[in-house]
Amino acid sequence: MTDKKRKTIKWAEEPKIGFAEAIYLPAIVEGLKTTLRHAFEPRKTKQYPEEKPDLPLNYRGLHRLNRDDEGRVKCVACYLCQTACPANCITIVAAQPPSDDPHWAGRDKFPASFEIDELRCIYCGMCEEACPVDAIELTSIYDLTGMSRDEMIFDKEKLLSVFDKTVGGDKDPIRTHHGALGPASEIDLRTAQVAPPPPGHGRPG
Amino acid sequence: MTSPSSPQSPAAPSPPLSTTMLVDDVEVAVGKKENIIQAARKAGVEIPHYCWHPDLSVVASCRMCLVEVGDRRPNGDVVMGPKLVPACQTPTKPDMVVKTQTPKVKQSQSTTLEYLLLNHPLDCSICDQAGECYLQDYTFKFGHAHSRLQEPKIQRIDKHHIGEQIVLFTDRCVMCTRCVRFTREVAGTAELQVINRGSGEEIDVFPGHPCNNKLAGNVVDICPVGALCSKDFLYKKRVWWLKNQESVCTGCSTGCSIHADQSDDHLYRLRPRENPLAQGRFMCDEGRFGFHYVNDPNRLKLPIVRADRTPTDATSPAGKFDDPWPAAIQAVHHAMTRPDRKNIVILSPFMTCEEAYLLASWAKSLPSPAHLALGPVPMTGDDDHYPKGPKGESPSGRSIKFTIRAEKAPNRWGVAAIVQHWEGDLVDWSQTAQQLAAGQFQQAYIVGGASGYLDQLDITWVASLSFLTVQDILPSPLSERADVVLASGSFAEREGAFVNHAGLAQLIKPAIRSPGEARPDGRLLMGLVVRPGLYHAATIRDEMADIMSAFKAWKGNSLEPDGLMLERKILTATVVHVPPISQGGSANKGD
Amino acid sequence: MSMADLWPLLTAIAIVMMIVPTIGLYMTFVERKVAALVQDRLGPNRVGPLGLFQAIADAIKIMLKEQVTPAQAQKVLFMTAPGIGLVASLMAIAVVPFGPVPTDQPAGVFRFMIAPGVDIGLLFLLAVSSLSAYGIILGGWASNNKYSMYGAIRSCAQFISYEVPLGLSILGIVAYSGTLSIEGIVASQSAGILHWNIWWQPLAAIIFFTSALAETNRLPFDLPECEQELVGGFHTEYSGIKFVLFFLAEYTHVVTVSFLVALLFLGGWHFPGVPSPAVGLTGSAILSMLILVIKVMMVVFFILMLRWTLPRFRFDQLMGLAWKGLIPLAMANLLGVVIVLSLGGSRWIMLPVSIALFVAGGYASALSFERAGRPVPPRPSTHLIKQGVA
Repeated sequence: MTDKKRKTIKWAEEPKIGFAEAIYLPAIVEGLKTTLRHAFEPRKTKQYPEEKPDLPLNYRGLHRLNRDDEGRVKCVACYLCQTACPANCITIVAAQPPSDDPHWAGRDKFPASFEIDELRCIYCGMCEEACPVDAIELTSIYDLTGMSRDEMIFDKEKLLSVFDKTVGGDKDPIRTHHGALGPASEIDLRTAQVAPPPPGHGRPG
Repeated sequence: MTSPSSPQSPAAPSPPLSTTMLVDDVEVAVGKKENIIQAARKAGVEIPHYCWHPDLSVVASCRMCLVEVGDRRPNGDVVMGPKLVPACQTPTKPDMVVKTQTPKVKQSQSTTLEYLLLNHPLDCSICDQAGECYLQDYTFKFGHAHSRLQEPKIQRIDKHHIGEQIVLFTDRCVMCTRCVRFTREVAGTAELQVINRGSGEEIDVFPGHPCNNKLAGNVVDICPVGALCSKDFLYKKRVWWLKNQESVCTGCSTGCSIHADQSDDHLYRLRPRENPLAQGRFMCDEGRFGFHYVNDPNRLKLPIVRADRTPTDATSPAGKFDDPWPAAIQAVHHAMTRPDRKNIVILSPFMTCEEAYLLASWAKSLPSPAHLALGPVPMTGDDDHYPKGPKGESPSGRSIKFTIRAEKAPNRWGVAAIVQHWEGDLVDWSQTAQQLAAGQFQQAYIVGGASGYLDQLDITWVASLSFLTVQDILPSPLSERADVVLASGSFAEREGAFVNHAGLAQLIKPAIRSPGEARPDGRLLMGLVVRPGLYHAATIRDEMADIMSAFKAWKGNSLEPDGLMLERKILTATVVHVPPISQGGSANKGD
Repeated sequence: MSMADLWPLLTAIAIVMMIVPTIGLYMTFVERKVAALVQDRLGPNRVGPLGLFQAIADAIKIMLKEQVTPAQAQKVLFMTAPGIGLVASLMAIAVVPFGPVPTDQPAGVFRFMIAPGVDIGLLFLLAVSSLSAYGIILGGWASNNKYSMYGAIRSCAQFISYEVPLGLSILGIVAYSGTLSIEGIVASQSAGILHWNIWWQPLAAIIFFTSALAETNRLPFDLPECEQELVGGFHTEYSGIKFVLFFLAEYTHVVTVSFLVALLFLGGWHFPGVPSPAVGLTGSAILSMLILVIKVMMVVFFILMLRWTLPRFRFDQLMGLAWKGLIPLAMANLLGVVIVLSLGGSRWIMLPVSIALFVAGGYASALSFERAGRPVPPRPSTHLIKQGVA
């Protein structure tokens, strides 16, 4: 009657202990065979400072704030990265650019301050995923060190300088360039024209 | 809101003189002057709509609320109409059958949304409305993900000139014309209008006549999309970070119900909260934008004790963790309990009833019982009624839709009733000031509670006092000369009840924490009057109901959600003429 | 005793006292290298050529570390416990030859041993090396820390249990050689490779080696410092130089045990083709010493390899192995030796007897598992599952 029930529960059986197991020696020999085999295998160690790791392009390292074609910060201060951040390490203060400044023509909102606490960050990459305009990206810079906590709080200028340093390199992050994320990221802000959608991609709204 | 009638078996034929209708197979009662949107709400169905607003006329222009409508024949047959009809414009009638979930309706909703979004820019990332936007919500619920538009979107120029407090992001507009109807029908000032036709339609103002009426801020609230934004709040905070608390506007004695939106103990904006007993669904700009003093960096953050009225820097406590409050309260206690001095306690119309009661009952229990007085009540001009006529004239009678009161304090009535309970009659502030000037009192305890409230006071009488305690939130000339200054809380930090001009008692609830070591008045007074336990407004209200006949109705009433009308008869008996003083302070100005 | 008689002793003491801690220090390095070997890594290779100075760097670092003493600890015992452990380990070395020591050694020549000619050498060694448990128990108790205490108690139980098979297992050899002095036992194996004790006492060798591992707290018997359960075991609260002393004691113990295995079972400094060494510090003596050292190094390497080969025993398995496996087997083995020797039979009878005993022991063990089942918690019965109770 309980056959059906019994099938739903799977008991993991411990391996049976027979003669060979009870005298231990075969198991020890077996184990030694494994360890000795490894002793003669090629070493897998990478000599780090001399030998740099070959990181995949989707490695999640230090953040950078991208610039648009005119060198302005691409970020529109939408706070979505701050909202998505599980470590609460992003602090943005939004502002309205002066309307008569030609530098900010076509821009309604920009981050007056943009700070990332790199010590608090867990490098999960959710900021990058949340960003509707591909403004924040994680580079493959992994060896980030500093002498003080203040030094590790990256402000807007510092994050932009990371962009300047990494852009165009062979490790330019490609995650966000991999196909169209959203049409908002493809708006050319100067002409405010929407790029045509890539085939097969609809545009929300 | 009446509760939906219990659903009966829809299959059974109804009696010929039915009073019910069917919305998505749910039987609901037919109400008076209801449209289908309201009837559907009773059935638990939300019909999407943009242009319809319960306080405005119906234009049925957005076409978002189209539903299928039919009739239920006496023999039980249901006959549906061939066309979709706008739910906002169709009055309900018995035996009406409404279907909101049919493929036809859904198709209509999604194509309507696609049309509305044709030229809508994809700037949710910078749009302040994102998070509370009906375009976002309805697109998510009723729309579909793709736009078939091949041509470039029409780009329009933002209109920052549209008003001092409002900005129009023209390309986000869906032309529901709620704002236009609001300025015509509620404000009566009719600044906003639609210009051009077809896809060239835009909201605009007459050149040189921006939308600066005292109710202009409401157009930001009623705009279902992010087209009209508040310049005051623009880009300050994304709305999903805000937490709101129910409160009451302290700008005038109308006592508009509001939401106080805060984040991280910073008050970001006030929004009207629908309350049919208080003000309806709107609020004025004076109140809406007059809250910034709450975030003022100059707020009193520590109690100050001055020896011999010599201003000494007592603002920094001795140690990092030393509580400065016991010393301040001790000083007040020490002075006020002297039996050989004549005391006066001046209550503020910005106090809640509970706080005023705590202080008044303590004042009367002193060895030398204090004289209670109501402080000055700020008055500005006359009551301002809306909608205005074509030439700016005020309406009268039943056509009044909104009133900004001349009395710029939220709780004169409540505090007056408390003073009268102990003093028998209520005297003018001018009389009280004369008494003070004549040196009738040696020690005074005066309460402020709002920006600029005590600033404009003639304080020559301070010289005649031997001890002055000021309980206030911002430094003022009076607090400069006080022996003890008790740093208290603004309306956003306090808890209690305000009684408005009509006798409506409403609750304010603490939205943020007081800056620094300042204490909200309730907590401060609990310490001062040495009552055991924490400040709990409901307990004190029960106590007041037992003692004072004016507040009898409070007994066991939570005052939720809309408040409670106190018996006007009792309250009006306490009202005396209060001479106006001019309203000072810059932060409280709305326009 | 003249100065001439004394210098070989002082030299031997100096060598032992200087070499043994250094060996202990370098054991850490070797251990890390062996670990790397097994795990396809390189191991420490940054400090000095091939990373050889790593051990020195570690020693300097750990000596400069802060000395933390828990507030509620028994200060005096807390301080002395590591010392007791190390002293016990070093004292055991006194009767262990580290090179060829002929039984008829004249005075006044260099001897590869601190105290040659001690008739009760093996007894002394067993007694003194057990003392190191004293250091562990004291340290664990004085730390005033639950985990240290648990570690110490485990250590206590483990020592008591494994002392018994350790002693029993070598009694057969002692009975055959007729001496308790280690150089005497080595001398009895000098006739050739087939005379090594391991050939006729394989079971005793296994039991001795196993028990010795348990005595040294090495894996798979390092229950007293089992990280998963006891943080650091008895040395949880120890840091800096006091921790080093515990560490040194453990590694000294490992070295001692390896020497014993080589001396008691593997023919000591004898090897086929190598003539018996001349007395004193001669070339042939040094060659013999190298043979011994190589044998010891192989045992050490085997111990280190075992660490990365075997998982740790559960505590009940550990005690079960000693009391239900090793002690009865050692007893039976001793009984066999005594019977064979007293009846005047060839000691080679013990080879099949040992194998038979081992097989019988394994069979009995397997049978007991079969019959009694393993000590696992009872499973909820089906009807309880059905009722949603379990």
